[in-house]
Amino acid sequence: MRLIACILGLFFAFAVQASDVITAKQLLQNMAKAVHTRNFDASFVVLKGKGMEPYRWVHAKQGDTELELLSLLNGAGLEMVRVNDRVTYFEPQSSAYSISTDSIAGPIPEVLFKDVTYLLSNYDFVLGGKGRIAGRPSQLVRIESKDDSKYNYWLWIDTQSSLLLKAAYVNQQGELLEQLQLTHISVTPEPAAQLLELQQRDFPAPLPMQTSLERDNITNNWQVAWLPQGFDLLKSDRHKLDLNNELADYYLYSDGLVDISVFVQRPLPGERPSGALSSGATTVYVHNSGAFDVSVVGNIPALTAKKIAESVKRPL
Amino acid sequence: MTKVNHIASRQEVTSRVLDGDLPSDELSLDNLDEKTFTRYAQIGDVMREKHQGGINIDITASVAAALEHEPCHNLPASDEVNVQDNGAKVVSMSAWKKPLSQMAIAASVALVAIVGVNTMPQPASTHSDNVPVLQSTPFAGGVSPVSFSSEQPALENAEKGLRELQQQRIGALVLEHQRQSRVAYALQKQAQLTPKEPEEKK
Repeated sequence: MRLIACILGLFFAFAVQASDVITAKQLLQNMAKAVHTRNFDASFVVLKGKGMEPYRWVHAKQGDTELELLSLLNGAGLEMVRVNDRVTYFEPQSSAYSISTDSIAGPIPEVLFKDVTYLLSNYDFVLGGKGRIAGRPSQLVRIESKDDSKYNYWLWIDTQSSLLLKAAYVNQQGELLEQLQLTHISVTPEPAAQLLELQQRDFPAPLPMQTSLERDNITNNWQVAWLPQGFDLLKSDRHKLDLNNELADYYLYSDGLVDISVFVQRPLPGERPSGALSSGATTVYVHNSGAFDVSVVGNIPALTAKKIAESVKRPL
Repeated sequence: MTKVNHIASRQEVTSRVLDGDLPSDELSLDNLDEKTFTRYAQIGDVMREKHQGGINIDITASVAAALEHEPCHNLPASDEVNVQDNGAKVVSMSAWKKPLSQMAIAASVALVAIVGVNTMPQPASTHSDNVPVLQSTPFAGGVSPVSFSSEQPALENAEKGLRELQQQRIGALVLEHQRQSRVAYALQKQAQLTPKEPEEKK
């Protein structure tokens, strides 16, 4: 009798676990679908340490056309407009440009609006508790990193509309480092008129994407010897930075959820200690290795950034 | 009672005389508002289609007088845009309603100001053990481009020379990271589609 109970208990435990995985994944997939099909008008704030950034986020779907607008409301501002698979960025310090991609790279990682199964090799999807966010019933889904060199990403999803209500970068100690919280959302059957107006607008033509031929020109001046599990090189080149016109050897890595930039530059004069700077989940680690400076930027823990920066060396 | 009424409202008297409600005696005529009476009579004529020829109401003088004292509370939209362009470095938030060239306004500089370096491990936060932390004063969310004007006082406070250089560099790096990560997703999707070259991963 005891044995049967034990077996039954085990069976149930497995069943529950299995269904949990499916549900968490299913919830994320529902959310990815919902943000592409619903007409909504939302406002959210991003809390980074002591700083705060308010955004407005409007999305409409009419027929086969998808329209989306995301704008930063404080400071000099930033506007991102998407019409189907063209995203145009309006920045205060440079002229507008477009990229042919089907999701806006804003404060929410793009992969969450797409195929999340890609993340399963580096992250676990875990179902959390239920709660109430922005006046709506919500379900917590945790995207937990498989090793502790990265942050976790938690999402609170509306149980009725499947839309995102809150999200946060959480470190391995469970502290919320950077939070995104919706303050208002309205879901309407009809698309907003102001968004439909976008269809009549002309936007700059998308920039040509790097082709696989050009990829052979990848600079191999430097060797980034250590990276956390799952990061792939997406791009590398040598270019001048926009703001201070400094030349840098540039490497872009991603694991699907977070991006890491590695810059190798001529050292600045004088004796400077290496160190980390962080704002919310974003870490900037500046490593002074004598003959060159390595800087690592990304939504990763300072310790990880330090390890990456210190692993950069000249190839033998 | 009628007397009270007469004094209370000249307009009412005018209306009632016109309707034949009051006799056109001296008392009521005294209280008659001539201009209103003319207007009422004209309205009545037009409604009964008695009036021949166009309606002739001269309101230019009164409009001009009214405008003289009217405060400007509703400037046209084009003026507003000009004001934004010249003065504050503000981005128009509804860009798609305006010509796109008006978007480029503000110059953004360093995003994070470094005021010193703390080489002591911070006891409070466990994740930064062994990692020296540059002391910083992030504003407006730290890594978001902020307008030049709001940056000014902080820049003045920041230490000169090298630190400013490093600060500028960090600002440039953060902005560059933000920009590059916009193409990251597209690149990644492309990489998934095309088979990986073996020498790419080194």
